[in-house]
Amino acid sequence: MNHQNEVRPGESPGAPVLRATGITKRFPGVLAVDNVDFELRAGEVHTLLGENGAGKSTLASVLCGAYQPEAGAVYRNGEAVILNSPHDGLTHGIAMVHQHFRLVERFTVSENIVLGDPSIGQFLNRNEVDAAVAAVGEQFGLPIDPTAYIYDLAVGQRQRVEIVKALYRNADVLLLDEPTAVLTPTETEALFVTVRAMTKAGKSVVFISHKLGEVAEISDRVTVMRAGRVTASVEKTQLDRHELAHLMVGRSTETDAQRYASNPPGEPALVASEVSLVTGGRTVLKNIDLAVNAGEVVGVVGVSGNGQRELADVLAGLAETTRGSVTIAGVPLSHVGAKRARKLGLAFIPEERVGTGLAPSLSITENLLLTRSRPTFISLRTTRQEARELIDEFEVKAPGPNAACRVLSGGNAQKVLVARELKGDGTPPAVVIAAAPTRGLDIGAIEQVRGLLHDARERGAGVLLISEDLDEVLSMADRIVVLYDGGITLEQSRPYEDRSAIGRAMAGIA
Amino acid sequence: MISVKLERRLERKRFLVVSVPAMSIFAALVAGAVFLEATGRPSGAVLSHMAEAAFGSMDGITNTLGTCTPLIFTGLAAAIAMRMGLYNIGGEGQLYAGAIASSGAALAWTQDASTPFAITVVFVAGAVGGMVWILIPALARAFLGTSEVITTLMMVFVADRLLDYLILGSDSYWRDPLSVGFPKGERIPEAAQFAKWFDGSLVTVALPVAVVMVLVVWAIGWRTSLGFEMKVIGDSPNAARYAGIAQRRTIVVALLMSGALAGMAGATEVGARAYQLDPGGLRLSLGFTGIVVAALARANPFGAALVAFFLGGLQSAGRSIQAASDVQVPKSLALTLQGTILLFVLGGEIFSRYRPRVAFNAATPHERLGAEA
Repeated sequence: MNHQNEVRPGESPGAPVLRATGITKRFPGVLAVDNVDFELRAGEVHTLLGENGAGKSTLASVLCGAYQPEAGAVYRNGEAVILNSPHDGLTHGIAMVHQHFRLVERFTVSENIVLGDPSIGQFLNRNEVDAAVAAVGEQFGLPIDPTAYIYDLAVGQRQRVEIVKALYRNADVLLLDEPTAVLTPTETEALFVTVRAMTKAGKSVVFISHKLGEVAEISDRVTVMRAGRVTASVEKTQLDRHELAHLMVGRSTETDAQRYASNPPGEPALVASEVSLVTGGRTVLKNIDLAVNAGEVVGVVGVSGNGQRELADVLAGLAETTRGSVTIAGVPLSHVGAKRARKLGLAFIPEERVGTGLAPSLSITENLLLTRSRPTFISLRTTRQEARELIDEFEVKAPGPNAACRVLSGGNAQKVLVARELKGDGTPPAVVIAAAPTRGLDIGAIEQVRGLLHDARERGAGVLLISEDLDEVLSMADRIVVLYDGGITLEQSRPYEDRSAIGRAMAGIA
Repeated sequence: MISVKLERRLERKRFLVVSVPAMSIFAALVAGAVFLEATGRPSGAVLSHMAEAAFGSMDGITNTLGTCTPLIFTGLAAAIAMRMGLYNIGGEGQLYAGAIASSGAALAWTQDASTPFAITVVFVAGAVGGMVWILIPALARAFLGTSEVITTLMMVFVADRLLDYLILGSDSYWRDPLSVGFPKGERIPEAAQFAKWFDGSLVTVALPVAVVMVLVVWAIGWRTSLGFEMKVIGDSPNAARYAGIAQRRTIVVALLMSGALAGMAGATEVGARAYQLDPGGLRLSLGFTGIVVAALARANPFGAALVAFFLGGLQSAGRSIQAASDVQVPKSLALTLQGTILLFVLGGEIFSRYRPRVAFNAATPHERLGAEA
């Protein structure tokens, strides 16, 4: 094989700046990437699309030098290169922005950006570096304060630092690993502006995602991966969302608007009246009146950080209200705590899955026991059998019922959590509080989780759906409320005719 | 280029539990032999003497069993706290407190008592003494969030001073009034002195009590709701809060159990070894060694018993080669050998979690982390 022949150096735009052939990467027990070819042209946005665990991040890590493949070759501008580390990648102008940022919290933005930069000598000229960093940020629409400390920055700003870092080092191939997973819709828009600015400046972007909508919006080309292999590579002109979904999951998904049609709600299941919460001197919940009836889904939408987490905690009995009361099935929750709330039929899917909803080092089996009422002496045998059935039914990718939840991927952990909460030990829940239940999940898992929530409602549960994903809430909820700055600022029922009003309420514009 | 790298094992194979320590001990023996040969001693003779003194003869085994009994208790004490992510560093102090309580109770209540009653009094008093000693750290941890590492350790020094005070510094209930020259503790009544099952070794009723405690700790830790809740709290306090587990209560209960077990080690020292409150004889660092036992056993009670047995053998072998006329190993070299073996066993532990992999191309640090991705 002589690949050099296929590339004509100097031919741009459109010449491949980065190409990989026959890449194979295995980890103990997993073939993560299986004989994959990939090509990135100058000035394009090439998306890697696929479910969790499809091998997208692993392939990107090979392309930037973080992983070394067992087989295959990487070509930069037609030259075969061996990348033994991300540092090697950077010297070839390839940089990756990881899903989990790699920033030193106690350093400033500039310090993080020059960290490990060999061109900086023994002494750091802060003013010079700060100015250069700010200039790079400005050029690409990434406003950033070079002197700010990382621990002061929000997630979206931290991501900006990572991108500026790559640009500052003159990378012209950027690999963005699920950059939108942590962003609000507005921040995502800003990111896309940056991405377009970058490609305009001749840089090339590998964009990793599993969100079909944004993929269609930003991509010039899409390569779909499934189970470590490439299933398709399509140009922008041929993009079809349904076709992509099909290629991604290998089975067709149905649109859900009709499936979640209204049915007449019953008695109030979960009622919050005049609930306020003050923590650390800050009022985080303001006079919340909210009732969820049996057999309906109420959606809580809002930009994250407007009291969603606190509202879920208060309603689930994990935090005490400062004023006001919460009742489940007519029984007040005050002073009773989480155990009592569960006895009343509460199921709670918290925002943080592994670490709150699931104990990380405990096995799947043990985690099924976590929220049950347990006898003094316990035996894991029957629960283990249940765990096995759960793994089969929801296609949880796990070595077995004794696997620690820490080793599960995000989507698989969420399946375990949601199945435990919603299927429980037989008795259907009376109230379900679900916070961001599908965030970061792939299409197949999203369908399963929504299906379970829908079933719970059909069986008469009152469901409170707290989510930043407006589309999801609007498709599933019978009623929505907008949470802004700790208070409910808008309430709407199906059909949601005035979406712009919802958007304004979320943004706090009266 | 050939490189060796460590790769995290995805699952821990059962045979590693045996094979890894066995290889470590073998490596330690080789290293120990180098030491011995370098100092001009016959390594083969010394090492075989050690093996025989520890595990190779009836006398050796009974000696080892007697030596390891208090270590089982202190090992369990540390292990049950570790199960929930707490570090009871003060087992030593709870052991002293247990010794004080059990000797005091024996002096007070076992004068004309039956043997079973006296034995019960000694152990129960020891357990209560240990619990009293950990009560303040336990409450401080549960209600104020004070680090139990600091508080339990500080309580060791208090117990240490108290021991001296009771025997050397005051005319206390524990002191033998007839010991005018050098003060010592009053001998506890005969009924409370544990009968020795074999001549010349400390194997007594304390050994079966320790074994029962292994089973009790296992049952509580692995088969009860309480043990489950301890594990959840140890793993993730947030998950415990989410599940509505009463964290404060569980913390106090677990630490009290830990203190009770350490106190029973003190009771063993009184009932099986000293027959009195003996400040000098108690200071063997049995409580601190218990932390090593629990750490090596990864907080598993059966593992703690095994490790205690091994360490007990190592200690009695160390004593034996100093005394033996044919090999003449000085104390310092005996301690070096003990330390070497312990070091290798501790160091070898990494291979039960990681496996070495020889690679024939350039390796980078990233690949070592790769297995987690």
